[in-house]
Amino acid sequence: MATIIQIAEAVVAQLNAATFSQPLAAARLYAPSFELPDMETLHVTVVPRAISSSSLDRNRDNFSYEIDLAVQKKTDMAHVSLDALMALVEEIADHFRVGPLASFPDARCMDVKNAPVYSQEHLDELRQFTSVLTLTFRVVR
Amino acid sequence: MSDLLDQGSAWLEGQRKKHATREVTYRRGADAVVVKATIGRTLFEQDDGAGVTVRVQVRDYLIDTADLVLAGQATLPAKGDRLDEIDAGKKHTYEVLPLGGEQHWRYSDPYRRTLRIHTKLIATEAV
Repeated sequence: MATIIQIAEAVVAQLNAATFSQPLAAARLYAPSFELPDMETLHVTVVPRAISSSSLDRNRDNFSYEIDLAVQKKTDMAHVSLDALMALVEEIADHFRVGPLASFPDARCMDVKNAPVYSQEHLDELRQFTSVLTLTFRVVR
Repeated sequence: MSDLLDQGSAWLEGQRKKHATREVTYRRGADAVVVKATIGRTLFEQDDGAGVTVRVQVRDYLIDTADLVLAGQATLPAKGDRLDEIDAGKKHTYEVLPLGGEQHWRYSDPYRRTLRIHTKLIATEAV
């Protein structure tokens, strides 16, 4: 199995094993695509995004694996609902920032990006919260 | 001098309502009203924002401006309002939402008799 898929699987396993302020069931997908009526329930989706590498020495390379992690849910647009989803995104980011990947310990999370913090377009046109975290894992091999 | 176009528009609007409508329930919170609506364009839209595709069924409803009365007050559509349409034993719920670069509603005629309301399907259940 490709390393980036192993890392994505490890991210999913870790999300599903952890306890967050809202229960979630993460899934890895190649092409995430949902119907709007399905978005009444919380969706957490893990998608491989990019790979880059640089030479470390004659025998090893430094690999960066970027994994996208989307948190999505249709909302009533009340601040309390949106604030709770923002808090969940932060909890997930903190979870990977501070801890190793249990089932793939060779990968270290070096960077967490959340830009934009949420999709204004989805909020306006779908009344749906969408926030995508990009986790960058480093592996030397 | 009377406005012939205005009179013609009123006649057409009457014919639309009489011959080309079905009953739908327009809801805002706990308030609801049953109105006669013409089904406008129905299409599927894909939103690829943030790298995650969301497929959406878009539907326009045309209703008389004068019919949109909630809690005894004439009103205009608001984002998040819902319309329930029953068809073939299923209740389809649509939410009033903007469409592309357009606002969530506009007048459909120059005389403000008819509202064109943009909606997106959010639920289907058996009734």
